[in-house]
Amino acid sequence: MLSIENLHVSVGDKPILKGLNLQINAGEVHAIMGPNGAGKSTLSHVLSGKAGYTVTAGSAIYQGKDLLAMEPEMRAREGVFLAFQYPVEIPGVSNIYLLKAALNAMRKHNDLPEVDAMDFLALVKDKVKLLEMDDKFLYRSVKEGFSGGEKKRNEILQAAILEPSLCILDETDSGLDIDALKVVASGLNSLRDPERAFLMITHYQRLLDYVTPDIVHVLADGQIVKTGGAELALELEAKGYQWLEEQAA
Amino acid sequence: MSASAQEIENLIGQEYKDGFVTELEVDTFPPGLDEEVIAKLSAIKGEPAFMLEYRLKAFRHWQTMPEPNWAQLNIEPIDYQAISYYSAPKKDADKPQSLDEVDPVLLDTYKKLGIPLDEQERLAGVAVDAVFDSVSVATTFKGKLKDAGVIFCPISEALQEYPELVRQYLGTVVPETDNFFAALNAAVFTDGSFVYIPKGVRCPMELSTYFRINAANTGQFERTLIIADADSHVSYLEGCTAPMRDENQLHAAVVELVALDNAEIKYSTVQNWYPGDENGVGGIYNFVTKRAECRGANSKVSWTQVETGSAITWKYPSCVLLGDHSVGEFYSVALTNNYQQADTGTKMIHIGKNTRSTIIAKGISAGRSQNTYRGLVKVAKSAENARNYTQCDSLLVGDKCGAHTFPYVEVKQPSAQVEHEATTSKISEDQLFFCQQRGLSAEDAVSMIVNGFCKTVFKELPMEFAVEAQALLGISLEGSVG
Amino acid sequence: MSAELKTSQYSAAYAGMKENLPGQSLAWLQALRANAAQQFADSGFPSLRDEEWRYTNVAAIEKKLFVPAADRTEVNAEILAEVQAQLLDGVWAIVLVDGHFSTQLSRLEGLPDGVVVVDMAAALEQHSDSLEAYFAQAVSDTENGFVAFNNAWFSDGVFMHVPANQVLAKPVQILHVATQAGFMANTRHIMALESSAQATVVETFVGCHDSYCSASVTEVFVGQNANLTLYKVQMEGEKAYHFGGTYVKQARDSHFQHHNFAFGALLARSDVHTDLEMAAECDLNGLCVGSKRQHIDNHTRINHLQPYASSRELYKNVLDQRARAVFQGRVWVAEQAQKTDSDMHNRNLLLSADAEVDTKPQLEIYADDVKCAHGVTVGQLDEKSIFYLQSRCMDTDSARNMLTFAFANEMVDKVKLKNLHDKVLQQLLLRFPQAGIQQDWL
Repeated sequence: MLSIENLHVSVGDKPILKGLNLQINAGEVHAIMGPNGAGKSTLSHVLSGKAGYTVTAGSAIYQGKDLLAMEPEMRAREGVFLAFQYPVEIPGVSNIYLLKAALNAMRKHNDLPEVDAMDFLALVKDKVKLLEMDDKFLYRSVKEGFSGGEKKRNEILQAAILEPSLCILDETDSGLDIDALKVVASGLNSLRDPERAFLMITHYQRLLDYVTPDIVHVLADGQIVKTGGAELALELEAKGYQWLEEQAA
Repeated sequence: MSASAQEIENLIGQEYKDGFVTELEVDTFPPGLDEEVIAKLSAIKGEPAFMLEYRLKAFRHWQTMPEPNWAQLNIEPIDYQAISYYSAPKKDADKPQSLDEVDPVLLDTYKKLGIPLDEQERLAGVAVDAVFDSVSVATTFKGKLKDAGVIFCPISEALQEYPELVRQYLGTVVPETDNFFAALNAAVFTDGSFVYIPKGVRCPMELSTYFRINAANTGQFERTLIIADADSHVSYLEGCTAPMRDENQLHAAVVELVALDNAEIKYSTVQNWYPGDENGVGGIYNFVTKRAECRGANSKVSWTQVETGSAITWKYPSCVLLGDHSVGEFYSVALTNNYQQADTGTKMIHIGKNTRSTIIAKGISAGRSQNTYRGLVKVAKSAENARNYTQCDSLLVGDKCGAHTFPYVEVKQPSAQVEHEATTSKISEDQLFFCQQRGLSAEDAVSMIVNGFCKTVFKELPMEFAVEAQALLGISLEGSVG
Repeated sequence: MSAELKTSQYSAAYAGMKENLPGQSLAWLQALRANAAQQFADSGFPSLRDEEWRYTNVAAIEKKLFVPAADRTEVNAEILAEVQAQLLDGVWAIVLVDGHFSTQLSRLEGLPDGVVVVDMAAALEQHSDSLEAYFAQAVSDTENGFVAFNNAWFSDGVFMHVPANQVLAKPVQILHVATQAGFMANTRHIMALESSAQATVVETFVGCHDSYCSASVTEVFVGQNANLTLYKVQMEGEKAYHFGGTYVKQARDSHFQHHNFAFGALLARSDVHTDLEMAAECDLNGLCVGSKRQHIDNHTRINHLQPYASSRELYKNVLDQRARAVFQGRVWVAEQAQKTDSDMHNRNLLLSADAEVDTKPQLEIYADDVKCAHGVTVGQLDEKSIFYLQSRCMDTDSARNMLTFAFANEMVDKVKLKNLHDKVLQQLLLRFPQAGIQQDWL
């Protein structure tokens, strides 16, 4: 589904990713762990098309297409979803309106008819139940006045409705208390599907207790320095990132 | 990648769509202003004697007044002797008795503006008074309104048919000495609308006046007077457009509203006078005095305005809350682009007990424009338990524009509660990227953000005008209104 | 404007007293004074027509014709007692009596090498070169009539200079004492902190029960990364006229905290202006507690000149009896000052039917990428809090008193110097005897 080869990315003159390779197939759940400053968020931003990053070498091919050449909204419509680390607030725009606009933009892109308000509401209510969210949540402005946990859950709700092929989670677990974490994890698990891949970027091992990854990568200094199964995460938790850095040295 | 600030700015820019000129024969006074011109104007209108007296008194006072210069405006001096103070389509000389007699060229003009006046295509549920340059050319649904007891006619007609009613109220809310432009208007106003809603009547339809400046080198000075007698209700809409011309044209209107016991007036404006071109050449100077007096207990006046046009806008629709428990509201969206300047806001003067006011002002500045909110909330000593809530938000698009907030709060009553909040922000690149990541185009994202920003005001507009406001801001209102 | 103004009586008297003012041998200062005197002769004191003065009428100054004190006042037991009561422990103190420095009352021993804290008259002799570089750089004659007046008339003041990286171990207190009816004190201060220096200054104003006028202008230069905290505690006598202007220039990364307490005076006007360069921060706090016929006017202006600067402002007014407060806060953001972060609030409580507040918070923004907010409230105490206290057995009056006190005390709690905090709290308690709160509860 996604094939990243020798990806080099800079911010200004400063290289952040320095030859990253990553292969993700449909149905897989990948976790990327790493110390602060390793380039984890840069990876999620580059894949989703945020401005301010320069790709200096390498490629990212998504479903046979050059992902890096596409506008951010085209990537989204093609099924690349980013759950933001710091969800953005848009005062005055209700959550449900944004969701409907996004879903219809995607459906239009796929030559599907737009969903009408009634069908849409039914769909949303279903998904809301799944995430143990409150209905009133839908009518508030996007993220405005949401608690940290609510914002993250809302990101997962959006994923549930847009049904992306590739779901990139940028530190979705950071700042969640254990109850919120469980809700987010069960939402994620319910989204697991043979047609869908996940790229979970996390600083903590805790999320992986609830969403078991197929493959764990360690990102350090702009490169994948180690790849393994779910047990690698436990090893990292026990030994710390320093262990890897020492190994690398 | 995601949109830059420049791209955001381009998304806001729109061409002026109502800038065409209507070719027809007109009677126009030569430029210049003196007592003779005023006398001639009054004579053409066949006004009662008291009006000429009133006009001359205003004119004499106006001559003693200095031009105001305190607003946050950059303005070329206006030569008041270079303006023509009367221009009317020739056929008005023998006034049309029905719409069939109205010059088809005029009907076409209004049709082009989306305001059909002929019987078949009239806006359902809206009575329209169409004012073209200095005169009213047509008023629709007059008969139906008359059945309900509602008077809705050009003010020139009201002066002939209901002189005592006009005399009783004209100039009592905005005296002829009030300010420079109000004095000028009192001296030279040519037409406008007059509305009287009798006791206990709920006006059966929306009333609307559509103002069009067509002639070059003329000023438009209209006068609107609305009286809502006890227990009555009326919703009134006002729209304005003008052709594109390189010279600045002056529009100095006065609007007076009087609400008696338990009466309610809702006054909505969509102002789209020609704003000048992208280099700031031409455009209307829109210097307007609008004021309402809530004279009766429990009366209510609500101003809603969407201001997108004019080179310079200078207006502060105000409420004097005299009656106990009376309510004043002001909802405003002001969009400025290119070199436009808007200095607008409101005054809420609390005098009666338990009076309440709400101010919601949204300013959007783009290009090199300057957008200023200026407002006064005054609580007199008599206004026990007065309440005011004010919210002013500014949205900046591009880095060459300015947004300014100047609220004045004066409180002399300890039981009053006054709250003012203001914020200024920009459409951030983060917000755009977020929307794009959810599959929306940058253009739709900007529409959505602007729309979200304005929606507390749009929802106050009657449906017909909400649609017009939507078209003006070039944004979709779907899902956010109501 | 000047056409309607009679020439100020002060201007007429100037010729007779200017030769007694300090700095006679300095050409630059003489030129500055002459210009300022002319500027004042042209403009006079501000009038109600001036937008910045529309709520404050200062015509009384012209009518009263205060006399600038020409000589030092002799220190008597009464003055000595007042000074001792007002000086804080553990400070370097400089005392100005009726606008003139008192060597006898000041305490300046043990200042670190290189640190200058000296009275202005002496500074004009010892440090004239460095003073010239600062004088009238943070504010000009044209700002308003009081600044022009001060430039021409000032008789003394304080010059403080802290070299780079020097952190002053103790605060500097400037104590103004007014002792004589009909006198006018005109003082001028210059405070300059070089880069990464740090200092705390406390300015205290006290005076007698007669009518007098205290007018001071302070120019402050906070160097790169330097940090200045300035407390102003205005406790003038009940018939006094007080005018104080503080004009600040903040260099890159600098910090300036101002705490402005207005308790005294019949008519008081205070201006605080600051210019922020790159990433500078300012924090302006104010509390005015007014009663009787007091008229207290606070004006602030924050100019964001460069990117990334941030400003915070909170001014509160509590007004009883016939007191009137004016607040005008203006935040101005230059076109290039992107990423400005500004927040300004003004909160007011009116405790009587005759009290009045006029407030005008203003935002003027020419940049686009900014976060600016301001807010004003005028109103009663929170009904929910009153109910909460009632449900905890308090009667309504006690609940109201307690909440009113708490409203004001929030500003006092921002004072970091323990002994100053206690002194200010005392002033507050004096004005809220009904709060029924003992100091040791707090």
